[in-house]
Amino acid sequence: MAASAGGRKLGWTVGFPWRRIILTLVAIGIGVFVLIGSYRTLTLPDAERIIAETWFQLMVRGLALGAVYALIALGYTLVYGILRTINFAHGEVFMAGAFGSYFFAAAFAESGFLDRHIVVSVIVLLLSSMAVSVGVAVLLERVAYRPVRRAPRVVPLITAIGASLFLQGTFSGFFGPDFKGYPKPEILGGQWELFGVTVKRTDIVVFLTMVVAVAALQYFVRRTTTGKSMRAVAYDREIASLMGIDVDRVVLTTFAIGGLLAGIAAVLYSMTFGQIGPFMGFLPGIAAFTAAVLGGIGSIGGAALGGLLLGILQSVGPYLLLSGFHVPSPFQLKDVVTFSVLVLVLLFRPAGLLGSEEVDRL
Amino acid sequence: MNLRRTIRGGAMGGTVLVYLCLVGLVGTFSDLSLIGTWLTAAGLLLVLPPVVAGAVMTRPRVQAGERRTMALSTAGTGAATGFASGAVLAVGMGLVQVIGIDTVRRVFVSVSPILMETLTFGLSTWGGALVIVIGAAALGGAGALLRSMPRQIRRPIVVGTVAVVALGLLQRVVPSIFDTLSIERDWLYRDITNGLQTTGALIVFLLSVGVTEGLRRLQGRSAKEAGPADALPPEEGAAPEGRRGVPWGGVVRVVVLAVALVALPQLAGPVVSESLGTVGIYVLLGLGLNIVVGYAGLLDLGYVAFVAVGAYFFALLTGSHLITAFGLEDPLASLHVDPFVAIALVAGIAALIGLVIGAPVLRLRGDYLAIVTLGFGEIARVLLTSDWLQPVFGGARGLGDITDASIGSYGFRHPQHFYYLVLALCLFAVFVSWRLQDSRIGRAWTAMREDEQVADATGVSTVRYKLLAFAMGGAIGSLGGAVYAIKLGSLSASGGTFGVLVSVTVLAVVILGGLGSIRGVIVGALVLIGLPDLLSQFEEYRLLVYGAALMVMMLQRPQGLVPNSRRTRELLEVDRSQDRWTGALAADKRVASEVSPVGEGSG
Amino acid sequence: MSLLDVRGVAKHFGGLRALDGLDVRVDEGEIVSIIGPNGAGKSTVFNVISGMYGPDEGDVGFRGESIVGLQPNQVTRLGIARTFQNVHLFPNMTVLENAMVGQHCRSSAGVVGAVIGTPRQRREERRIRERAQNALSFFGPRLAGHRQDQLAFALSSTNRRRLEMARAMATEPRLLLLDEPTGGMDPSETLELRDDIVRMRDQLGLTVVVIEHDMHVVKGVSDRVIAFDDGRKIAEGSYDEVAEDERVIEAYLGTRHEELR
Repeated sequence: MAASAGGRKLGWTVGFPWRRIILTLVAIGIGVFVLIGSYRTLTLPDAERIIAETWFQLMVRGLALGAVYALIALGYTLVYGILRTINFAHGEVFMAGAFGSYFFAAAFAESGFLDRHIVVSVIVLLLSSMAVSVGVAVLLERVAYRPVRRAPRVVPLITAIGASLFLQGTFSGFFGPDFKGYPKPEILGGQWELFGVTVKRTDIVVFLTMVVAVAALQYFVRRTTTGKSMRAVAYDREIASLMGIDVDRVVLTTFAIGGLLAGIAAVLYSMTFGQIGPFMGFLPGIAAFTAAVLGGIGSIGGAALGGLLLGILQSVGPYLLLSGFHVPSPFQLKDVVTFSVLVLVLLFRPAGLLGSEEVDRL
Repeated sequence: MNLRRTIRGGAMGGTVLVYLCLVGLVGTFSDLSLIGTWLTAAGLLLVLPPVVAGAVMTRPRVQAGERRTMALSTAGTGAATGFASGAVLAVGMGLVQVIGIDTVRRVFVSVSPILMETLTFGLSTWGGALVIVIGAAALGGAGALLRSMPRQIRRPIVVGTVAVVALGLLQRVVPSIFDTLSIERDWLYRDITNGLQTTGALIVFLLSVGVTEGLRRLQGRSAKEAGPADALPPEEGAAPEGRRGVPWGGVVRVVVLAVALVALPQLAGPVVSESLGTVGIYVLLGLGLNIVVGYAGLLDLGYVAFVAVGAYFFALLTGSHLITAFGLEDPLASLHVDPFVAIALVAGIAALIGLVIGAPVLRLRGDYLAIVTLGFGEIARVLLTSDWLQPVFGGARGLGDITDASIGSYGFRHPQHFYYLVLALCLFAVFVSWRLQDSRIGRAWTAMREDEQVADATGVSTVRYKLLAFAMGGAIGSLGGAVYAIKLGSLSASGGTFGVLVSVTVLAVVILGGLGSIRGVIVGALVLIGLPDLLSQFEEYRLLVYGAALMVMMLQRPQGLVPNSRRTRELLEVDRSQDRWTGALAADKRVASEVSPVGEGSG
Repeated sequence: MSLLDVRGVAKHFGGLRALDGLDVRVDEGEIVSIIGPNGAGKSTVFNVISGMYGPDEGDVGFRGESIVGLQPNQVTRLGIARTFQNVHLFPNMTVLENAMVGQHCRSSAGVVGAVIGTPRQRREERRIRERAQNALSFFGPRLAGHRQDQLAFALSSTNRRRLEMARAMATEPRLLLLDEPTGGMDPSETLELRDDIVRMRDQLGLTVVVIEHDMHVVKGVSDRVIAFDDGRKIAEGSYDEVAEDERVIEAYLGTRHEELR
């Protein structure tokens, strides 16, 4: 199919007019829907209206959710940059981390250790989560991805899907298919005052953690040798290997870093939502992937930005757009928001917000 | 004896053993007796890893004169590998004993006293561990010996074992067939749930060995090893275009097959017929997805959306629900469409929906297309169960009171009748698929799969043919949904009924059988749907088994079990000069924005 | 009215200006060669003409109508066929099947016809087969007979090129764009191809535009030669005129002509 040219409206080749017409109509339709829905929601009678404080809380929750998505999205984007393929099983890497830390968390909570020595507990939880996530990620790469790296594209895709299912089934078999409660330190259980509005503490902590992690990652990728190797391989695998870079090791490292971040995300998510289960990785995985695409796949800043944006869209979107139409239980449709965003981005701006169609993505 | 390999093999075998225990497969299957009271399915699961480890870690090095000594050393290596596997498991058991089973159980829920009982054969832990280690060693040695034996000895043994195991696994089906045909079965199956009689199993084993050997001599095959290629099952699609003829052997086979197909539900009884019906639905779905994934190369992970469309719209068309939902009273406005017409209509609706969804989406590259279609599948499910659309689709409760399709008083909901409905639709789908394969359209799809950009440049409208495949696949999928609605009588999209698992299952069926292969779809459905349906213990482990099946297939045999010859070449093209081409292709396309999710996508 | 009219076409990829203010005209029945150093934008012009991507500026006209913005398959259907610098066949299809794909855009049987096997569809299949075989037979016995059932990847390098050209010819084009068709050929094969190109015009009435490096071929087939450098046309005329043109020599050799003495 023809790729896009520059210089025309919205950045495509001037196609057979149908496509542009339909897409323009769709864009207008969505715009109208968003405007009308928002207007109606915001002008609901007082009894039904959502007050400003709630909006703010939704936004903060959205930022926290988005922070988790951002961390997971980084895993997707890094692997994509290197291998030009989506790691379908990354959601399960995330889930594995949650389980990895769960048993410690449960034990700590039961014995009270969690609240007495918060810092140590959290560090242990983070480390155990990261360890398991990295372990699973590395195992995935060695067993499921590396052998088929050169095969026609459909093969690694399906292998990844199989791995995703297999991991879900495995964890379900090991630990039981039901949800387990995940504790959080009491100190995080309360609320803070922010700009005169009460917000959950966990939300703030999650957000801050993500900022630190992303900053660390940026430093790593830009300043360290390994990071530079990663960028080199992302740019051109063949040349990088000719330059003496051990591509296999770089790929492994990339997966490991993705796992590391997913492990952090797992602890944050588990504490925020209070429960984990073998299938918990599925929806966040897709959301994170959408976030990566939204921000520009292959770009670290893009993944972070996309994650936050998507979190807000998921949190605020359904209420904002649908309450006005008296749609009951709008939160049920939050995943519809996710997928809609994905389709729309891929339709209108496939390179994402921060992405470019050119080189040097990492 | 290569120590490193032995240890590696043993570690892998042992890990598999421990895994099988931890994940609960051993525990769950310990109540499925295979042979008498001494071999359960769990036992079989435990036996396989050491045997395989032993077989794989040794290489057949047997030649005529050196058979004796070589065999011993091979057996030795195998035994050592088996021993290592058993040791790993034994260590695991010991750990459980030391840590305390209750503590372990809080983490790994499958480690139950029953499991430990099974593993220790009722002895003390140390006794059990000893038995395991020695047993595993013996099994490893046996595996190695088996591998190193010349083919004419190995084959009958394998066939015999498989026959016995199969009869054991099919203990819910076969006895009733025997009964219907009034064949004496007590010698083999005394009580239906207690597996085979030991003596009966032995007889079956010897019979199979004899038959295999006899067949071999009759066909006068040479005794030499023919090499790895001869293990391939028959291929399809290998005949060059346009060749026809009337091979009488083929006609006879077709007739026999037809008779068997028609007679099957009568023979097998209602319970098995129901399973066959389910298998049939998945064959139908598989054929539809085969057109999308196998022929056109589009990875669709949201196929369940079409199934749901078929089911729900069938229910809405044939019932009065839609009318009452909108509060209409006029009887003339009732939609009681004839079920058979409704089936055709939903296919049309699904095709339309396929076109609408496909138009913006099919230009995306493989990975992206997969996730987007996954998204659509999920959206469909969410919308169908939402409170918002509850008036139309019934929300979480779904729709009930679905009309049965019937001709006169012959209702198709009854399992043994349902089978024929599904069979008819499957035959239709098979016919359509088969005809499309060798047609101009099939060629266009193949060209697109091989190289989309070049196909486009050669004059094949990729947009149109992708849409065609997607819409056709969707239409067939909706047929499956419609019959599903007939079968159940009521629909609810909550729970997993129309979830991702269905899409993934159908994908697994197609892939296991072989992408682009019609026979493969049938085989895939039988294996992945038929077996678990008959073995209720599988229910919790579907995800695991399907995931493992997908991975193993892609890693070991991407062309599937019954491959299509052309696809085999495509999927295994890694080690040929094709590599140069793909490298050159990438160079050409680099300026065309290789990284963009839009546009590129062969295969 | 010329058959192909490229007017003021510009194309850039990021910072790289691949084509810059390009004007090329090709009249029906001509054989035009495009020469120039690597990276001059020759293949890019083919890509723009055949619709793989659109120009940033300018227009491409074919038989008087603008074809910018059309899908490649639509351009092919209108009558422009092309080959690629690195041969792109359908490797797992047979030689004959490759050529039959070329006939795709000249046939129309749909799903119903294919499934039911109407007489019309069967006739069309036969016709597709015949015309594909005709296209293959242009190269004599090399792509004929039992060769037709061979898988494309198994062909020799030169036969692959021939197959790609045959496939392009099977689309029944008016204008054929050949991108470095002699790549990988030895001298005798090159000379044979040179005659083949002329035959394409004389026997089949095709208009041909060839990108070539081998000056023997260029000299032997061209009615006109166009020289590119840096995405621009730097010379145009008969072979002799262009070969003597200072700018052309400078583009190839990178030095001024006089300094060589």
